[in-house]
Amino acid sequence: MTPLLAFSDVELYYDHVYALKGVTLEVHEGETVALIGANGAGKSSILRAITGLKRVKAGEIHFAGRRIDGLDPDEIVRMGLAMVPEGRRVFPYMSVKDNLLMGAFTRSDKAGIDLTLEMVLSRFPRLKERYSQTAGTMSGGEQQMLVISRALMAKPRLLLLDEPSLGIAPKLVQDIARSIVAINRDEKVSVLLVEQNSRMALRISQRAYALTTGSVALSGRSAELLDDERVKQLYLGGEL
Amino acid sequence: MEQVFANGLYLGAQYALIALGLTLIFALMNVLNFAHGQMYVLGGFITYTVYARLGLPFVVALFASGVTLATVGALIEKFLFRPVIRRSVREESTMLLAAAIAFLLDALILLLFGEKQRGVPKIVKGVFTSDALIMPYDRILVGILAIAFIAAFVLFMQYSKPGRAMRALAQDRVAAQLMGVRVDRYSMIGFALGAMLAGVVGGLLVAITGISSGIGGPISIKAFMMVMIGGAGVVGGAIAGGFILGMLESVGLSALHDYGDITYLVIFAALMVFLSLRPNGLMGKPWG
Repeated sequence: MTPLLAFSDVELYYDHVYALKGVTLEVHEGETVALIGANGAGKSSILRAITGLKRVKAGEIHFAGRRIDGLDPDEIVRMGLAMVPEGRRVFPYMSVKDNLLMGAFTRSDKAGIDLTLEMVLSRFPRLKERYSQTAGTMSGGEQQMLVISRALMAKPRLLLLDEPSLGIAPKLVQDIARSIVAINRDEKVSVLLVEQNSRMALRISQRAYALTTGSVALSGRSAELLDDERVKQLYLGGEL
Repeated sequence: MEQVFANGLYLGAQYALIALGLTLIFALMNVLNFAHGQMYVLGGFITYTVYARLGLPFVVALFASGVTLATVGALIEKFLFRPVIRRSVREESTMLLAAAIAFLLDALILLLFGEKQRGVPKIVKGVFTSDALIMPYDRILVGILAIAFIAAFVLFMQYSKPGRAMRALAQDRVAAQLMGVRVDRYSMIGFALGAMLAGVVGGLLVAITGISSGIGGPISIKAFMMVMIGGAGVVGGAIAGGFILGMLESVGLSALHDYGDITYLVIFAALMVFLSLRPNGLMGKPWG
């Protein structure tokens, strides 16, 4: 079966410094795949390459059977890919409602948009309470729910999440992790999750890739990686 | 008193429309459009040509000004600003480009329409008079039209899909791109819209004060003052700045009348004090 998303030998540079050197990975339909690794290992660069925000220097990226490296972000997004960027990035002076409607920007099926809106509001009832509130005035956790919902409004086949637990209260991290699992299961959305919180990422994913300085160091089933001594040492910070 | 207030309101509505266009372009593209006043002048001369010279109805002339300036704005964005923004690493490049466009438009306007001050036949005759107020009907009509345009623009930005996309782009460019907004297309729409507003005000005011080729620069300066007062890139700020400047001008002209032509001197001095206290204007935040 052809994977939904495939990277083959992707290289990416910022000026003359490489961020990715020969990364190969894939995400299959229905999977949740985690990318773990330290700061600067290249996790976010992978997401920027997928969405077209940063051009790759070599290698190929395929999504849903089409080659997407070299396309503009809006073209890629239209193919059924949605990203929750790092640091949340709500539209701060817009209402929750307008933020959600922006998520459906590429769609024009009014009835379908209403259905998706109903779905995200029942999944995150807090957003329903805050429906007319200005997004920038909400708490970090609420903003995270909003950007995940905003991405779902596009009805994506693949959801990219960049550090969804960063700067969120520990109790809410659990909630967000549960939401990701539920979205993957109920909405049939494949998920590519980038996390520094490796333990959380490995718990809620089926497979994972561990990155070090721009290349894949380890990969495999998440459950097995959780018990792997090398992973424990390098990515789970030991059991100190 | 009522008279001064009514004059300020009438003037403020025109100014607010000019400032809205300028602030829209700034919010979307981070471009200070120094040619905004020249776009206003071009709009005025087009209304003059269509209404006074060709004898077509005023509404048609106003429409022609709007469409022409929207087209001019779209072309300027696509062929001048877009390539410069794409290739330049310094933000000053767009400012220099905007200044160059202002000079170019000044020269073209002079060439096409001459240096004479032009006026048009009254669009409606008669004067409204009451105990407190004397206001020609044409001023009332132009004031109402300007307020209607402001309302239409605000509703468009707030509730339409393109309006929402432009606000999103102004607030977070990358996030907007990730929603599928095409930066190129919406920059062009925004620039066209901003230029159109300037052109429409030029068309409206030609019916009252006439138009001449030299006033582009001074109009740009006023537009920048309004945006400084209200705060750059904010819709409410542009409207507030427009009405405040209109009101100050109206009050100044009546209160300072005995001291000679010093209204703008006083306004400039007050603005400097104001900006040293509140450098971001009244509501300095991105598009809300």
